[in-house]
Amino acid sequence: MEILQFALRKIIGGIPLILGVTFISFLLMVYYGPDKTYELLGKNPTAEQIESVRAELGYDQPFLQRYVTYLREIVTLDFGNSFSSGERVNSILKRTMPISLAVITPGFILGNLLGLVLALVAAYHRSGWIDKAIMGFSVVGMSISFLIVVIAFQLIFCSSYGLNWFPSRGWDVYSLSDYLRFVTVPTMATIFVALGYNTRFYRAVIVEEMGRDHVRTARAFGTPPAQLLYRSVLKNSLIPIITRIMFSIPLVVISGSLIIETYFGIPGVGKVTYDAITQGDQPILKAVVGLTAVLFVLTLLITDILYRVVDPRVSLK
Amino acid sequence: MTAPVGKKPVLTVKELVIEFQTERGVVRAVDGVSFELYAGQTLGIVGESGCGKTVTCLALLGLVPTPPGRIVSGSIELNGRNIVGLGDREMRNIRGRDISMIFQEPMTALNPVFTVGNQLCEVIRRHTDATRRQAHAQAVEMLAVVGIPAPAKRMGDYPHQLSGGMRQRVMIAMALSCNPSVLVADEPTTALDVTTQAQVIEQMVLLQEQFDMAVILITHDLGVVAETCEDVMVMYCGQVIEQAPASGLFTRPSHPYTAGLLASIPRIRRERLQELPVIRGMVPDLLSLPMGCRFSTRCEYADQRCQAQIPSLRTATGTDAAVACFKPLGEA
Repeated sequence: MEILQFALRKIIGGIPLILGVTFISFLLMVYYGPDKTYELLGKNPTAEQIESVRAELGYDQPFLQRYVTYLREIVTLDFGNSFSSGERVNSILKRTMPISLAVITPGFILGNLLGLVLALVAAYHRSGWIDKAIMGFSVVGMSISFLIVVIAFQLIFCSSYGLNWFPSRGWDVYSLSDYLRFVTVPTMATIFVALGYNTRFYRAVIVEEMGRDHVRTARAFGTPPAQLLYRSVLKNSLIPIITRIMFSIPLVVISGSLIIETYFGIPGVGKVTYDAITQGDQPILKAVVGLTAVLFVLTLLITDILYRVVDPRVSLK
Repeated sequence: MTAPVGKKPVLTVKELVIEFQTERGVVRAVDGVSFELYAGQTLGIVGESGCGKTVTCLALLGLVPTPPGRIVSGSIELNGRNIVGLGDREMRNIRGRDISMIFQEPMTALNPVFTVGNQLCEVIRRHTDATRRQAHAQAVEMLAVVGIPAPAKRMGDYPHQLSGGMRQRVMIAMALSCNPSVLVADEPTTALDVTTQAQVIEQMVLLQEQFDMAVILITHDLGVVAETCEDVMVMYCGQVIEQAPASGLFTRPSHPYTAGLLASIPRIRRERLQELPVIRGMVPDLLSLPMGCRFSTRCEYADQRCQAQIPSLRTATGTDAAVACFKPLGEA
């Protein structure tokens, strides 16, 4: 009951955020985005033709009225048809969302898990050679541009210059083995790029926790290393860890998949969004922006509830 | 020290030397400390911050952070076995079972995300073959022993739900749960309010008799030492400068530093309010210690010999005290 009340309050509190984000984005796409009118018309259109296309696209209505329509679309979760293909936005999203999630999830989870494990090992052997080696590799990983990583991995794993084990582009998935074939290289690239940042961040958090009094107490009572790291250190540093993971979710879903999908030619949400931006396909952009804002508010809510779950001192207020 | 006839010491520390590697050089935090401790006895270690008392005690549990710290020489015999240089695994078996430590800050010394019951059972099950249920029963019993009301109910509480005094009692329960032969208490009451302090100290004295433990009490509070300890060891800059039965030390201190410490305790029942005597000067930097006696720079009796040679511990004439001073107070 307490959690339900809390959730309701948080969601209501998130409404201004959603309004702000959608208003600014909509303002930008209406006044600074590409105009689709002439792209849809043939050569030498008449004034009436222009007029009718503009009416069809909704360009002729006043801004505020169009914004209100947008809000109604968010509430009803119905974003109309794409300007470019005429396909319903909802069915485009329904088709591409699962692909994006399938591409991004393994790399996201493994990147964070590996980062945590490496950070724990490094922090436990603090300032020893293991720590120095791990931190050295992290800095190297952070310093290499994502583009170079993608190209290098494609050369090594996907071309006849290298091992040629995996396809370099596309998404032709009908079975688990197909999935593994297409997802492996993008996943490795995501992990490689995220790992350095994750490890460094988690190590800093864990090192701080290891200096705490209760960790010393645990040592003084003979706690073995694995248990010390799990019960005393990890369990107590979950709040910053959860914060980082949760807050990177909206970013990873949109921007992470944008880069990965473009470079690996995967038809996911990122690719669709990228195309919609360059072509001024407003219904798709409106849907993506609106849903991201909603996702963010939900993420905030879930993050707060998770805090309560991992730390008994936190109360939901 | 007052050695009971025919008994073997549970803890013997001999010529312990501990050094720390710092950015500015090697610091000798503990320099040739020796003492013996018998079951049922309480030894107080007194001294200013940074005098090496906490490091000495951490060494007893093998908890000196290495690096930067290092036990250079000396031995620590616990129940007849030298524990200096023991492996990690063997040391872990000793900690909490043969020797326990309770810490200064009860507010932060317990793991905040587990219930006190969970933490107690954890320690019990690590060091004994108790089943989950037996451990639970024993934990409840321990909480009762340390004077926590409604112990079964308290088992499910998190540390933040308890008061400071309660938390320190939980720490003591944890420390005693495996019936250790030595209990090290590092300023166990400093963070508590005065009435709670008295209760916790009283409880510790009771439990010591009940469990027949040897206790090392590190404290700034000379009042607590007078009430609880048989013997007192005064440390200064990593060295023991006076070691004496508590009764004698308080009435007739031998070392000028001990005398200074005792004089600087405020006494409320004085007729006229006077300025509190202080030991003049500052504790010297451990990296640039004086040539001779380490207290010589602050000592009003110091002469040339004090500044040139380091005095070693010897029995002061006419007392039970061992003192490291060329001109102890009683002898002049």
